[in-house]
Amino acid sequence: MRILLDNFSKSFGATKVIENMTFEVGHGEMLALLGPSGCGKSTTLFAICGIHRPTGGRILFGDRDVTDLPSQARNIGVVFQSYALYPHMTVAENIGFPLKVKGMATADIGKEVDRISGLVHIGNLLGRRPAELSGGQQQRVALARALVRKPDVLLLDEPLANLDAKLRLEMRSEIRRIQRETGITAILVTHDQVEAMSMCDRIAIMKEGEIVQIATPAEMYSDPRTAFVAGFLGNPPITFLRGVMANGAFVIPDSEIRVPLPASVSAPEGAKLMLGVRPEHFTPTGDISAPGNVTFAETQGRENLYDVQLNGGSLLRSIQPVRHDVNIGDAVTWAIDSKNALVFDDDGRRL
Amino acid sequence: MNTSRMLGLVMIAPAAIMILLFFLMPVVLTGVFSMTNMTTATGISGGAYQIAPHSLNDLKSTMPDIAEQMAQPRYAIDEAGMKAVEGLGLDAGIATELRAKHIGDVFQTRREAERMIKGLDQRPSTPDVKKISEQFNRSVVNSRFSSKEELFSALDTLGFKLTDAQKDSVADVTYTGWNWTTENFSRIASSPDMARVLFNTLLYVALVLVLFNTAYAMLLMIWTHYMPSAPATIFRSIWLLPRITPVVIYVLMWKWLAWDTGFISVLMGKFGYPPKNYMLDNAYNAWVFVVLINGFIGASMGMLVFSSALKAIPKSQFFASEVDGASRWQQIRYIILPQMRWPILFVTCYQTLSLLASFNEILLSTRGGPGKATEVWSLAAYHTALNNYAGNLEYGLGAAMALVLVVIGIVLSLGYLRIFNYGTLVSRPLIED
Repeated sequence: MRILLDNFSKSFGATKVIENMTFEVGHGEMLALLGPSGCGKSTTLFAICGIHRPTGGRILFGDRDVTDLPSQARNIGVVFQSYALYPHMTVAENIGFPLKVKGMATADIGKEVDRISGLVHIGNLLGRRPAELSGGQQQRVALARALVRKPDVLLLDEPLANLDAKLRLEMRSEIRRIQRETGITAILVTHDQVEAMSMCDRIAIMKEGEIVQIATPAEMYSDPRTAFVAGFLGNPPITFLRGVMANGAFVIPDSEIRVPLPASVSAPEGAKLMLGVRPEHFTPTGDISAPGNVTFAETQGRENLYDVQLNGGSLLRSIQPVRHDVNIGDAVTWAIDSKNALVFDDDGRRL
Repeated sequence: MNTSRMLGLVMIAPAAIMILLFFLMPVVLTGVFSMTNMTTATGISGGAYQIAPHSLNDLKSTMPDIAEQMAQPRYAIDEAGMKAVEGLGLDAGIATELRAKHIGDVFQTRREAERMIKGLDQRPSTPDVKKISEQFNRSVVNSRFSSKEELFSALDTLGFKLTDAQKDSVADVTYTGWNWTTENFSRIASSPDMARVLFNTLLYVALVLVLFNTAYAMLLMIWTHYMPSAPATIFRSIWLLPRITPVVIYVLMWKWLAWDTGFISVLMGKFGYPPKNYMLDNAYNAWVFVVLINGFIGASMGMLVFSSALKAIPKSQFFASEVDGASRWQQIRYIILPQMRWPILFVTCYQTLSLLASFNEILLSTRGGPGKATEVWSLAAYHTALNNYAGNLEYGLGAAMALVLVVIGIVLSLGYLRIFNYGTLVSRPLIED
C-alpha cells in the first residue's frame, strides 16, 4: 500500500522539527529515511505510525487519510530500536499480542504465530522470554510481532543499531528478504548509509527536517544533489578539494592541479568551488595527476585505504586493491578520474 | 585468619549490638512475658504469700476442712503473747505459771484456751481470763510471709499439720506474685471476645488493604499515568498530604468532620437532622471512618510505589502496544498489570504487616468503639497490657496477644511469597560469587 506524506509538518511546542515535507512511498517499496541524528527522521516515522500527531499536512495510506487516526486504527507494524518486547510474555505471546488484542481465537493465533515465526526463523524459541534471547533473536521476534497481523505498512526504527557487526550484516539481508517475500511497503529509519543503500529501493536523505534528495541508492551515489548527500553516502567517505573556477576548469590556487570541467558546469570566473573525489576515483589510473605524501594507510584485507596530503595542503583519500609497496610518508603521484569528479558550488549545491 | 573479614565483624559490631538490644530483645521479652500471668496485681518482680480471703475461697474447693480451720483464729501460747500478758499489769504469778506450764501449746478455740487459763493455780478472774486469752489470739488470715518457709513454719506453729501436697496447694493459692503459665494462650484460643477481635482485625486489614492500599493506589497510578505531567504531580502531592500530616492532627480533622458540632452535623442540620457524632453513632459508621482514615493514608504509599514501577516500564512498550492495536484497557490489562506483580507483592506484604501492628489511627479516632466494634488485635493487646478502664493491666496476656500477632504476620508473609511466586520474581544473578 502506498504511503503519501502531503505537506507534513511537525513541531513540539515552539520547536519546529519538520516543515511542509512531501514524499511518497510506492506499493511494495522499501524506502530509507537516512540522515544524521536530530534530522527529524524518527519524528517522521512516529507520525506515520500515529504516536505523534502531525501539526500540519496529511498522511495517506493508499487513498485513506489516516492523519487523525490513532495508532490502533492504522494497521501498521513497527520494529522499534529497542525492540520493545514485553518482558513478561513468552516469544509466542509477544508475537501473538497484536492478534490477541484484536480478539482472535487462541487456536488461530497459534497458527499465525507458527507461520510468521517460521518466516523469521525463530520457530524453536517460542517458549522463551525476551530476556533469554540474544539481540538478533529479539530482533527477529520484534519483526515477527510487527508482521503477524499483515500490516499495510512496516516501519523500522533503527532496527539494527543495537546489534553487533556480524549480526547486523545478517539481519540486513534477512529484513530485506522478509520484506520482499511479504511484499509489504516499508520505511526504514537509519543513520547508517550502508544499511540504507543495501536494504532499500530508494533513499530519502534528510537534513534539518527537510528531504534533500530522494533517489535509488545507485543514482544517489553517482549523482548526489548536494555536497551533504555526497558526503553522507559512500564508505570510505568522499573527500573535497577547495578551489576556484578558472577558464572552464577547477583550479586550486598555488597548486598545479587543474581539473577541466564539462561545459554543463556553469560558474562565473573566479567563483569558489568544491570538487568531490570519491576514494575509488583517486588511483594510479586517473587522468589528472595529483602528487602528494601518504599520511595514513590502512589495510582492510581486500583493499587498502590511503590518505594523501597533496602538495598544496589538501587531502585526498584513495582506495586500491591490496599492495605492499606504499607506506606512510612515501611520496606518490596518483591521479584523479576527472570524469567522475563531482563539482559543487560554495554552498554545496551540485553544478 | 582473614583480616578483612575480622574488620567487617568489628565494623558491624555496634549495629549488631543495637539490633540485639532494640530488635531482638523486645521480641524475646514479649515471648518471656507471654508465658507468665503477670498483671498489675502480681507486679513484675517476685511476690509474697498471703492467706487472703479470696485464697481461702480458692482452697475451699480442694481442702474444705483446712480452709475452714484457717479462717478461724487459734490461740497459741507464744513468747510474744507472754510479753503482752506481762504488760497487762496482772498478778506476776499468772504469767510465770503460764509460761512454765503451757508455753508452745496451741488451742483450737477461744473456749479451750480460756478453760486452760481458768484452770491455772493462780485462778485469774473472768475478765482477766478474757484479757489474757486475747493476747494469744492468732489468725493466719491476711498475714503476709515473704517466703514459703515462713508460711509453712507459721502454719506449723499454729498447729496446722499439713501433708506436702496440701502445703503446695496452700502455697499456690496464697502466692501474690506471677507464675509461669501457658494459660494466656488457652484463654486466647477459647475466648469469644478474642475471636471477635480477630474477626475485626481481619476485616480491617482486608478492607483497607484491598480497597485502598492496592486497588485505589492502582487507580491513582493509572489516572496519573494518563494525565499531563503537571496536573499529575499536583494530584499525587495532594494524595501525599494524609501521609505527611501528623497523625494526631489528621485524625482530629476527621473528628471535627464527624463530631456532633462538626461539619456533617451542621450540614445535615440544614436538612432538619438532629446533630450527632457520626463517627461513633453506630458500628457501621465507625467502620466506614476507620477504613477511610487508614485508607487515605495508605493509598499514597501504593501510589508512589506503583507509579515509580510504572515509570520503569520503557516508553517504547507503550508505543509498541499502541501500534499493536491495544486499547487503553488492554494496555493496562496486558502490559501494565503483569509487570506490577513485584510492587503489588511489596505493598501487600508491607501494608498487611503495618496494618496488623498499627492501631494509632483507631485509638485516636474511635478507641475501638462504639463498644468494642472497631477493636482490632493490636489495640486489644494495648488495652489489655498497657491501658484499660479496670486498671488491672494484664502484661502476660497482652504479651501473648502481641506474640500471636507476630506469628500471624510471619505466616501471612510466607503465604504472600508463595502466592506471588517469589522465586520467579527474583531473577538468578548473572555474577557468580
